[in-house]
Amino acid sequence: MAMVRVEHLVKTYGAARALDDVTLEFPDGGFFGLLGPSGSGKTTLLRAIAGFVLPETGRVFIDDEPVENVPVEKRGIGMVFQNYALFPNMTVAENVAFGLAVRKVTEAEKKRRVAEALELVQLAAFGARKPHQLSGGQRQRVAMARAIVTQPRVLLLDEPLSALDKALRVDMQIELKRIQREIGITTIFVTHDQEEALTLSDRIGILKDGRLIRHGPPREVYDDPQDSFTATFLGDARIFSGTVEAGGLRLADGTLVPGVRTPTVAVRPENLHLSVAEPDLPCRLQARLGQKIFGGALGTCLLDWRGEVIKVLGRDADFRDLPESGPVWVGWRPEHSIQMSG
Amino acid sequence: MSNAFLAHLGRAYVGLILFFLYAPILVMAAMSFNASEFYQLPFSFTTDWYAKLAGNREILSAAWRSVWIAVIVTAIATSLGTAASIALFRYDFPGKRVLQVLLFPPIAIPWLITGTAMLIFFFGIGLGRGTPAVILGHVALALPYVIVVVSARLTSFDRTLEEAARSLGASPWQITRAVTVPWILPGIIAGGLFAFAVSFDQFVVSYFLSEPGDSTLPVLIYTSIRKGFTPEINAISTIIIAVSMGIMLLAARYSNFGGER
Amino acid sequence: MATTIAGQDRLRAVTLLSPAYLWLTVAVFLPLSAMAFFSFLSDVPFGGRDWHVTLDNYRAFFETTTYATLLWKSLKLGLIVTAVSVIVGFPCAWVLAKVVKGRSREALFLLVILPFWSNSLVRIFSWAIVLRGNGVLDRAVNAVLPWDVKLNLMFSPTAIVIGLVHSYLPYVILTSYLALQAIDDSLIEAARSLGAKRRTILWRLILPLSAPGIIAGAVLIFVPVVGSFMEPRLLGGRLGTYYGTVIEDQFVAVFNWPLGAALSFILLAVVLAILAAASPILKRART
Repeated sequence: MAMVRVEHLVKTYGAARALDDVTLEFPDGGFFGLLGPSGSGKTTLLRAIAGFVLPETGRVFIDDEPVENVPVEKRGIGMVFQNYALFPNMTVAENVAFGLAVRKVTEAEKKRRVAEALELVQLAAFGARKPHQLSGGQRQRVAMARAIVTQPRVLLLDEPLSALDKALRVDMQIELKRIQREIGITTIFVTHDQEEALTLSDRIGILKDGRLIRHGPPREVYDDPQDSFTATFLGDARIFSGTVEAGGLRLADGTLVPGVRTPTVAVRPENLHLSVAEPDLPCRLQARLGQKIFGGALGTCLLDWRGEVIKVLGRDADFRDLPESGPVWVGWRPEHSIQMSG
Repeated sequence: MSNAFLAHLGRAYVGLILFFLYAPILVMAAMSFNASEFYQLPFSFTTDWYAKLAGNREILSAAWRSVWIAVIVTAIATSLGTAASIALFRYDFPGKRVLQVLLFPPIAIPWLITGTAMLIFFFGIGLGRGTPAVILGHVALALPYVIVVVSARLTSFDRTLEEAARSLGASPWQITRAVTVPWILPGIIAGGLFAFAVSFDQFVVSYFLSEPGDSTLPVLIYTSIRKGFTPEINAISTIIIAVSMGIMLLAARYSNFGGER
Repeated sequence: MATTIAGQDRLRAVTLLSPAYLWLTVAVFLPLSAMAFFSFLSDVPFGGRDWHVTLDNYRAFFETTTYATLLWKSLKLGLIVTAVSVIVGFPCAWVLAKVVKGRSREALFLLVILPFWSNSLVRIFSWAIVLRGNGVLDRAVNAVLPWDVKLNLMFSPTAIVIGLVHSYLPYVILTSYLALQAIDDSLIEAARSLGAKRRTILWRLILPLSAPGIIAGAVLIFVPVVGSFMEPRLLGGRLGTYYGTVIEDQFVAVFNWPLGAALSFILLAVVLAILAAASPILKRART
């Protein structure tokens, strides 16, 4: 069952199409990540579900109820903003209580639920503080507590972790996931950080230029991106183009990539293997080693192949025996050839 | 010339400017405590003129009228102006630029023109001269100032706070009361003080719109000066200057003048 | 679709905006239109008077040189006051923005701006006391100088200029200060590191960058000075006949409202032309 559903949404700003016929279902209780470069329409989609953006055409359903004509405040959503948008003139407890106060919840009930929500985000002792007395991570938790205390039908997160530094972001990802599981709320979140999307979501949708390019479970989309934009945007990938022959794909240097039936093929850098001797792999090509980059446990090699760069990721130990430069072989297993339909 | 010398020279120059700005006001204030009716020196201290002032019914009633007109004008201009500022900030609609530009004629056109135009129009519609006409005119002059000051405060207001409140189920009115107004309150107070000053110090428009014998303080002072100076006028003028400077000091505290906050 | 929400928002915007703008319409925009209408009448259209539409009021302006001369006199007064204010005020703004630092800067700035928001009539009156013959200024000058001088500035064009400069000087200091403050100190340091002399920095860097602020201040002074009438009356005495005082007379002494309206309207046209010419610069100065 889908808690949120959008059908054929179109929103234009002048000549630019922020949303171009987007149709998508967000499953009940799921954690859905909307992913895309800036200007792809992901935030517009989120704000259209919230009701801040009014699309020209198309439909939005929350819990199977059409909400195009329901104003934001009556849609029963919870939202966490990029900058948290905590009311500076209210304490933490007052911030969390705000949504209950406007719903005329009794004083006792309000107190209990605020305490519960603060407990859930592990800020029980911070109720009397003002937002400016909190750290970034704590503000983020208050914003979460405030958004869920009203028991919304859907939780919308707009780049919720982008204002935090990297170490804190990883902690908060785990925290976010825990809270979402605990209350089981349908959650939609927007991010430009693909790693974050892959970590948090059980489904992702990828947008580009206002169009939905691809959606599905993260692993499925990652393993089979189907088009070159998804392949390179979600993770890293080397795209090879050529002409399709009976045996596979013939690249410009004459290499035949067996088993490929599409004019382009992508390979993830972590699936590429380097060797000086010709490897025993059906997919292989010759290149020159340009640069070895030491990165601790993991390393990167940059190869020069016909004037283009091929990136290879691997354990540093694997690269140690290679020369600093010179001709090398790159190989991969046939199942790591990702065939591109677009 | 060294930099330090130039800096001293610069400070001395600012001192000179301040002397130019304040000396005549201080002279006027001093003369209100001088016994001589014709401003003759040597100076001999007296508070007679203030005592006389306390017995001058004409001046006192004009002063009282000026005060309560300014209070009414402040109340109306502040509430209408704040509402308009919030709408201009919150909503996007065609013609918004035009509405913003329309605020400038009342500020930029010399009050002589605005005042005489009001006189003509108010007579044309049968309102004529008098206190209602004065209030009508003062509010119109004060409104743009309130809107400009409150709007300036709103530019530092984070729009997502309103969105957050909406997403939590608050109605536009609840948002205004609980989130927007607390944030812009300093701007509203500053705008209100500006409105008070515009009305309380207003001479030109009051001059054309008030009825003889029913005038505001600045108008009364003008007509008195043209008949001849008396230290009594110095006394009331000194009081006016003190009041309006006090109000503007307050306004400066609330509108982030020095850039603090 | 979604029209109901947009419609509700529009309704709310109208509800919040209309009181303020209706008020401005009734008290400013309709009066200005009424004045335009009046300026084409032979007499006031109430009190049972006979009236008809005529161009006589404008003809009066153009047929005799009296009004045009007075308008020119007022424009000249505006130019002089503006020029003096800019020349006196800009260095002051410079010192406040770039020399004085910290809390004393805020305090000094406030002190400079404060008189501007106090009663202008009273401030003109205070000059009348200072400048009058045998007054404070006369005595102060005579106490310092060994020989006898009779200044007697009162009731002279100089007195009017002094009073008006006193009234409007804070304007140009305010706008220049804001413009100067926006100039990054590192720009000046960069120019100096490139070997520029003080004079070069002033002419090539500071004046061009602060020009919008200066011009904004100049316009804000020029416009009201051209329309001033109270200051010339109080400080100019019999010499104090200007365009503004003539308009005042039409309304409070001669009671020729249609002529006053025509004169006002001509002044409005001049003012609007100046504002329109300066508006691109004013717009830049506001940011």
